Amino acid sequence: MNCQRVQDYFIDYQDGTLPPDESALLRTHLASCPTCQREWSALQEITRKLDTLPADETPSPRLREQFYAMLETHQRDADSVSPFALARSRIDRFFAALLPSTPALQFAGALTALAVGVFAGARYFHAPAPVPAAVVDSSAKHEKEIADLKAQMKEMGSLVAASLLQQKSTSERMQTVLATMDLKSPDRKVLSDLVGALAFDPSVNVRLSAVEALAQHADDRLVRAGLLSALPRESAPLVQVAMIELLTSIREPDAVPIFDRISRDETADKDVRESARRALAVLRAPSPTDTLKNNQPSNPLVS
Amino acid sequence: MLLAEATQLRVHTESSPASLPATVDAENDHELMIAVRAGEIRRLGELFERYHKPLYGFFVRLTNQPSASEDLVQIVFYRILKYRHTYRDEGKFSAWIYHLARKVAADHFRKSASTPTPADPVDFENHPDQDPAPDAQAATSDDVALMRRALARVSHEHREVLVLSRLQHLNHSEISRLLDCSVGAVKVRAHRALKELREVYFKIRKEAAA
Repeated sequence: MNCQRVQDYFIDYQDGTLPPDESALLRTHLASCPTCQREWSALQEITRKLDTLPADETPSPRLREQFYAMLETHQRDADSVSPFALARSRIDRFFAALLPSTPALQFAGALTALAVGVFAGARYFHAPAPVPAAVVDSSAKHEKEIADLKAQMKEMGSLVAASLLQQKSTSERMQTVLATMDLKSPDRKVLSDLVGALAFDPSVNVRLSAVEALAQHADDRLVRAGLLSALPRESAPLVQVAMIELLTSIREPDAVPIFDRISRDETADKDVRESARRALAVLRAPSPTDTLKNNQPSNPLVS
Repeated sequence: MLLAEATQLRVHTESSPASLPATVDAENDHELMIAVRAGEIRRLGELFERYHKPLYGFFVRLTNQPSASEDLVQIVFYRILKYRHTYRDEGKFSAWIYHLARKVAADHFRKSASTPTPADPVDFENHPDQDPAPDAQAATSDDVALMRRALARVSHEHREVLVLSRLQHLNHSEISRLLDCSVGAVKVRAHRALKELREVYFKIRKEAAA
């Protein structure tokens, strides 16, 4: 055993954990090697000195006070939840004792439960006669309910449109008029609102949109009457042209005197007079020509 | 002759006063901690009575800050309560508590490294013997004072091994688990630590004598 090896063993030898035969070898080496003897006694000396230090120091009473204060708060916290925890652990234990713990047994138990269920179902529940009747009954009822709901929806849409036409801002009124285009069959209230917008709305754009919206329902008497009464009062050339084109396309005979008056009116816009003249020509012609219909860029929805 | 002296001087862990309660009743510690985990929080009081002094000693030796050490002991017990659900059935309580203590100490050193701790007047009051007091004439108390100062000057990782093995009486395999290294590495470190301590000790003694 060389010196390095011996000194590596010192710590184990000191602790008494070195095996007996190696301890014997170490002792023989120590007896003959002054260097290792010095090392060993130095190590022993410092260890003894270190061991004179008390391991336990005495802390101030503050530590104990603080600890027990903390302990109390934690115990109180634990106690406050314990009724539930206790009940839950009891229930858990009850089921744990009742149910099988090994997976194989659990699987077998589940299979048994399934088989019993299928058997019981086949044995006791094979009289499903009243079920289809109930289904038919309820489906008829459902259809009626759906129809009712649809009607309600339509009413609601009209109501919203009507209320929105009273809006203050131009863009909102505009949106409302455009929204009425989506309604397949608006009721009288919506139509009269649109006619009102056409006659009285201060915005040219809204009136123009109203003309477009009304074009879909131009067969309605209310709409025709509204157009005829609004046209003489209209001042904006754009709207006038649109109304003239619309009245022409639906071949409204009562519009002839109004067109005639506009075409002679020297103060009217040149384009308006021109379109009124052309409309008169169309209305007076015995056979309808499609020229004007094709010239309706402002009214693409008429078909 | 020299050999006889050497073997007589052999320091037995068993013969030294056992400060680690684990040697007293490890089984009981474990049962107490299981009870604490199950919700009998007050049972931790018994564990506190057994462990707070050794733990305090561990922190004082490691940090040389008596009042901060009290806080650290408190933190260890706080963490025991907070993490009591993680205590495992096959675990050994003393190993677990030193594991927590080392982490708490590491946190403390990290914190105090970033913020220099102001000198606590309480510490001076509690430990006037950091320097040899005029009335401490007896050779033994001189030795103890010298040893305290020497241990305080040893590098942190060596000091930790010395405190755990010589003062807290953990065996090398326990320490290796705590430090997360091999038993051999712990022994090498322990040997080097003793050598460093010896150098520091004699240096201080020379200074004191001069």
